Amino acid sequence: MASDVDTAPLVGRTGTMATLRSALYDDLRPGQTGAVFLTGESGVGKTRLLTEVGEQLRQTGALVLTGACLDIGDASPLHPVRQALRRLDAEQAQARTTSAIRGVLQVFDEETPGPDGAGALLERVAQGLHVVAGGRPLVLVLDDLQWVDRSTRQLLLYLLAGLGDLQLSVLAAIRAESLRGAHPLRRVLTELRRLRSVRVIDLLPLDRSATDELAAAVVGAPLPPEAADQLWQRSGGNPFVVEELARDRRDGRDGLSDTLREVFLDRVDALPQPAHAVVHAVAVGVEPVEHWLLAQVVRLPEEELLDAVREAVAHRLLVGADDGYRLRHRLAAEVLAHELLPAERAALHRRYAEALTAVPAELHQARLAHHWRHAGEPGRALPAAMAAAREAERLHGYAEAHRHWSAALTLATEPAAVLPDGARPEPVEVDRAELLSHAAEAAHHSGEHARALTLLEELTDDPSGPPVCALRIRRARYLAAAGRSAPAEQEYRGVLDAPDCTPRERCTAAARLAELLLHLGRYAEAGDQAREALALAADVPGTTSEVVTASAALGFSEAFLEDPAAGLAVMRRALDTAERSGRPEDVACAYLHLAELLTGPLNILEEGVVVARRGADRVAELGLGRTWETRLLAVATNGLFRVGQWAEAEKVVAAALRHRPSGADAVELLLARCRLSVGYGDVEASDRDLEAVATVLAGGGARHVLPMLILRAGLAMWQGRHDLARQAVQRGLTESRSDDVIVLATLAWHGLRAEAEAAAGRTIEVDPNAVRRLREVVDRLAGKSAKAGAPVRYVAEGFLALCDAELSRLDDGRGDPALWERSALEWDRRNHPYPAAYSRLRQAEALLARRSRVATAGKLLHRAYAMAQSLGAVPLTAEIRTIASRARVALDAAPDPAPVPRPRAAAPAGPAVDELATLTAREREVLAAVAEGLTNREIGQRLFISERTIGVHVSHIFDKLQVRTRVQASAIFLRNGAE
Amino acid sequence: MTEPVWGPVHQDIVGLLADHPADVPAVVDHLTKLQDLLVRLPPLEQSCPLADFNKLYLVITSTVLDGLYDDRFCDPAFLARLDVEFAARYFEALRFWTDSSPSTPKAWSCLFKRMRGPDARPLPSAAAGVNAHINYDLPFALVTTFDSLESEPIDGSDQHRDYLEINKIFAERIPELRRGYLDNWQLMIDMVNGDIDDWYQGELVEYTRNVAWRNAQKIWRCRHDPDARECERTRLDDNAALLGRLLLSPLGAFLQ
Repeated sequence: MASDVDTAPLVGRTGTMATLRSALYDDLRPGQTGAVFLTGESGVGKTRLLTEVGEQLRQTGALVLTGACLDIGDASPLHPVRQALRRLDAEQAQARTTSAIRGVLQVFDEETPGPDGAGALLERVAQGLHVVAGGRPLVLVLDDLQWVDRSTRQLLLYLLAGLGDLQLSVLAAIRAESLRGAHPLRRVLTELRRLRSVRVIDLLPLDRSATDELAAAVVGAPLPPEAADQLWQRSGGNPFVVEELARDRRDGRDGLSDTLREVFLDRVDALPQPAHAVVHAVAVGVEPVEHWLLAQVVRLPEEELLDAVREAVAHRLLVGADDGYRLRHRLAAEVLAHELLPAERAALHRRYAEALTAVPAELHQARLAHHWRHAGEPGRALPAAMAAAREAERLHGYAEAHRHWSAALTLATEPAAVLPDGARPEPVEVDRAELLSHAAEAAHHSGEHARALTLLEELTDDPSGPPVCALRIRRARYLAAAGRSAPAEQEYRGVLDAPDCTPRERCTAAARLAELLLHLGRYAEAGDQAREALALAADVPGTTSEVVTASAALGFSEAFLEDPAAGLAVMRRALDTAERSGRPEDVACAYLHLAELLTGPLNILEEGVVVARRGADRVAELGLGRTWETRLLAVATNGLFRVGQWAEAEKVVAAALRHRPSGADAVELLLARCRLSVGYGDVEASDRDLEAVATVLAGGGARHVLPMLILRAGLAMWQGRHDLARQAVQRGLTESRSDDVIVLATLAWHGLRAEAEAAAGRTIEVDPNAVRRLREVVDRLAGKSAKAGAPVRYVAEGFLALCDAELSRLDDGRGDPALWERSALEWDRRNHPYPAAYSRLRQAEALLARRSRVATAGKLLHRAYAMAQSLGAVPLTAEIRTIASRARVALDAAPDPAPVPRPRAAAPAGPAVDELATLTAREREVLAAVAEGLTNREIGQRLFISERTIGVHVSHIFDKLQVRTRVQASAIFLRNGAE
Repeated sequence: MTEPVWGPVHQDIVGLLADHPADVPAVVDHLTKLQDLLVRLPPLEQSCPLADFNKLYLVITSTVLDGLYDDRFCDPAFLARLDVEFAARYFEALRFWTDSSPSTPKAWSCLFKRMRGPDARPLPSAAAGVNAHINYDLPFALVTTFDSLESEPIDGSDQHRDYLEINKIFAERIPELRRGYLDNWQLMIDMVNGDIDDWYQGELVEYTRNVAWRNAQKIWRCRHDPDARECERTRLDDNAALLGRLLLSPLGAFLQ
C-alpha cells in the first residue's frame, strides 16, 4: 500500500514553473523584490507548484521560508511568518542561522503594546529576516493566503515595497473559490496586479493532452481512447481528480467520484476504523497536529496509532512532517465536518482542549479558545479568548484582538452546555463592562467604526460601565474617526453643556471640537472653540495635550482668517508649554503643527524648514525618532523642494528613510523623494518610488493616490509619454473631491500641459474631449478658489495661472507671453523657483514664436536656465537648452557659474585618487558629454561652442588621461564617480 | 475539438479580458470594445442578449463617468472605486464563462447561456443582466469598496447619497425601466414565494438597488467570517439566478 503515496509527475506546468522561477529569482536584480500570487480552484495543484518551486529555489541557494495561513479565523497576528520561521529553525543545522532565527522569534515574544508599535514591529521583523537571510535571496512561500491575517498582509506589502531593505520574493497561493464575493484580498490583488514586480497567475486546469499525459504516468501506460475521453469529461482537467481517477483505474477500482468532494468521501469510506478516527481528529484540530497531541486525542496505544496514521497516509488523506500532521487537502476537512455528529465533534474538541491546557504551545490561547468554544464550554473558552485578545493587542493586531474580544463577549452570554457527567458548569464571573470597553477600543483601532459605536452603546447601557461624560467623549472620538462629523460635533457640545462633566473633560471636548471644526473648514467657530479650550486649560493642570491641540486649531484658523501673526504666536506658545510640562508626544505634536503651519498656509518656507529640522532633532532626543522625526523630516523635505534647495532636500529625505518607516509615513517620504527624482529627471528612481508607493497603497490609503498620480503624470511628460500622463490625470480627475482645490488645480495643470506638449511635439493627437473637460474643471476651480480661505486661494491661483497659460498654448499653438509672464511672477511671489523657471521658458518660447522681443526672450531663457541649473532640474534644463539652441541663444556665454554636476546625497564611494583632477572644468564638461556617447558636433551644439574647439578639448583630455580612445576616456570618467 | 466559447471573436474577447481596467475611463473603454465584439457574435449578432445588457451598462457607466468629471457626486473616490469594482465582477464572470469554469456565478450563466439563442426580447435580456449585476455583484462590490477605502456602508452618509444618485442616472437613461417596468417587476416578485420573500425580509422595497445596499450592510457585518460570507454569496447567487431565469423565460416577454 505504501507505494500508493508515490507522487505523480508534475505535468503540464513547465511554462508556469519557468515563469515562477524567473519572476521570483532569475530576473530579480539585487535589491529588487518580486511576487507571484497563484490563484486557482481546489485541486488544481497550487500547493504542489509551491513545493516544487520552493525546492528548486532552495537548491539554487535561496533561503526559502514556508508557511501556511490558518482557517480558524481568529488566529494570532503574523502567525504564518512565525510558523515559517519555526519550521526553518527545525530544519536548520547551522548554528549561525539558528541564532538568527531565534532572534526574530524573540522579537515576537518580546514585543510590547504601545503607540505606533505596529510599524516598529514590521521594521524589527524585516531586520531579523535580513540577518537570517545572511546575504542570500529570501523567498517567502505562503499557502492558503485566503486566510491571511491583516498584520501579515501589511508585512508583505511593507517588504514588497522594499521598505524593509531586503531582497525578497513572495510566492503565495490563494483558493479561487474564496475570492468570489467580497474577500478582502480582492482589492489588494487588483492594485498589485498593476505593478511590474507582481504577477497574479490564474492557474487553469490541465488541457486535454496534459490530462492524458498525467493519466498515462499514473497508470503506467497510455489510456485507451474511450477511457481517456471519459476521464477528460469527468475530471475537467483538474489534476487532483485526474490523478485519483487514473489511480482507481490502475488499481481496478471503479470510482464514481468526479469531484474533489466525492474523491474525499470515497477515500474516507474506504478507511479502516482506527485510521478513520485519526483523520477525523486531524480535521478537527489546528494544523499541524503534533504526534503527542494526536495520541492524546485519539487515545490509541502507540503501535495502533502508528498503524492507523500510516493507513491514513497511504489512503492519501494525511501527510506527516517534522512538525506534525496535516490533511493532504484542506477541503477534506470541510467534507469531513459534515460526517461527524455534533456531539462527536464536541468531544474531539474537548480532548484537544484538555490536552493543550497542560502544554503551552504555539498559538496556545487562540487554540484553547477555539477548542473550548467548540467543545461547548464557554466558561473555559472565555479566559482563553481574553488572553488571546491581549496577545493579539501586544502584537498590534487590533483586527484579531477585536475578534477575540467579540468572541469573549458572546461566550460570556452563552449558556454552558451540559457536561458529560450531567452537571452544568459554574457560570464564569466576568466584568462585562470591561469586555465591552476593550472590544470597542479594538474595533475602533481596526477601523470597525460602526461596530465600535454599537459596542459603546451597550457599554452606556451597562450600569457598571464608565461615567457618562467619558463615554460621550469616546463616542465623539469614534464618530470623528468614522468621518461622521455632525453627530461627533453634537457629542462634544453635549459634554460642554453637561453640568456634571469635570472641567478636564470639558477642556478635552473643547479642544477636540476645535480640531474637528477646523477640518470642516469652519475657521471662525474653530477659533472660538480653541480659545474656550485654552481658557479652560489654564485652570486645569495636566492638560498640555489639549493646549497643543487647541493652539494648532487656533493657529490654523487665524491663518485662514488672515491674522497669521496672531496664530503663529499662539502655536509658538503651545510649543513652549509642551516643552515645559508636556509628554514627549506633546512636544513632537507641537513641533509638527508649527512646521506645518509655516510651510503650509503661511508659506513661510525657510523658517518652516528650520523649525521642522530643529523639531526632528529634538524629538529624536526624546526617543520618538521612528515616528515623529520621520514626519517632521517629511515636512522639511517638501519645504526644501519648493524653495529650490533640492540637494538639501535629498539629504533630509534619505536621513528620514533610514528609520524604515511604514504605512502613511513611508508613503509621504517616498512621494517626497519621488518628487525630487522627477525634477532631476531620474526615471529609474522615480519609477521605483512610484511602484513602492503603489505597493503600500494596495493595503489602503486613498488620500495619497492623487499625489501619486500627479507625479506619475509629471514623470510621463519628461519621457514624452503624453498618453500615460493623460491617463493618470483622467484617473485623478474622476477620483478627487471637488473641495480638493489645490490638488485638482495641480492635476488640471498637468492635464493641460500634457495636451499642449502633445500638440507641440506631435507625440499623440490632442484629445478635444479631454481639453473641454479640463477647461470646465479650470472654470469650476476658479469659482471655488475665489471662495476658499486665503492660503488655499494663494496656492490655487498659482496653478490656475499655469492652467490659463497652457490653455493659451492650446488655443493658438504659440501661447500668450503675457499669461506666461503672469504665471512666472505669481510663482516668484510664492518663492517657488521650479514652476517660475518653467513659466519663463514658456514665456520665452511664446515670444520667439511671435518673433517679437527676441532680446527679452534671450534674457528669460538665461534666467530660467540659471534657475533650472541651480536646482539640478535636468530635464527642464535640457528643454531650455533645446529652445535656446533653436533660437541661437548661447546660454553658457552668460556670466552664470559653470554648471555644477548634481550633488548626490548618497554618492558611491569613488577611488581614493581622483584621476580627473588634472582636467579643467570645461574639459570635464566635454568629457561628460563624450561619455554619453555624443559626437564632437553634438557636444558643440550642447555647449554652444564650435566643433573644432571641442576637438582641441578632446585631444587635451586624451593627453592628460594618457588614453587613445573615447571609450578609454569614458571608462575613466565613469570610474571616478560620475553619474 | 469543441468550438470556442466565443466563436469567431474568441481570441479577441480573451485578449480583452486579460486586461483589468483600474479606473472609470478604462472601464468605459473596455465596455465599448466589448460591445463591438459582442455584436459580431453569431448567430444573433446585433440581437445578442448579452449585447443588449452590455449596451445598457455602457450607457450607464458613461453617464457615471460624465458625472465624475462634472462634479456631480459628493465622494468621487468612492463612486469611482465602486464603479471599477462593480465592473470587475462582470468581467470576472465573463472570464469564468470563457474558461468554462464551474465558478461562473449562476446569476450570470443563465444569461450567458442564451448568447447563442433562442432569441430573447432586448428589454428582458438587459433586465436579466441588470438583475445579475445589481442583485448579485453590487453588494459585494460595495463591501470591497468600503473595505478598501477604510469606510463603512452607513445610511445617510455622503457615499449613500452618491449611491442613490446612480438611481437617478438609471431613471434618466432608461425611461423604459421606470415605473411601468418596475410595477411589472414587482408583480413578478410577488408571484414568486419562498426564497424571494425571505430575501426581501419583509422590507418594503421600492428599488432593487436598495436591496443591494441592505445586502451589502449584511455582508459587511459578517465579512471576516468566511463561512457566513460564502453562505450569503450562495444565497444571493441562487436568488438572482432564479429571477434571471424567470426574466429570460417566456414570462419575461410580458415586461416589454
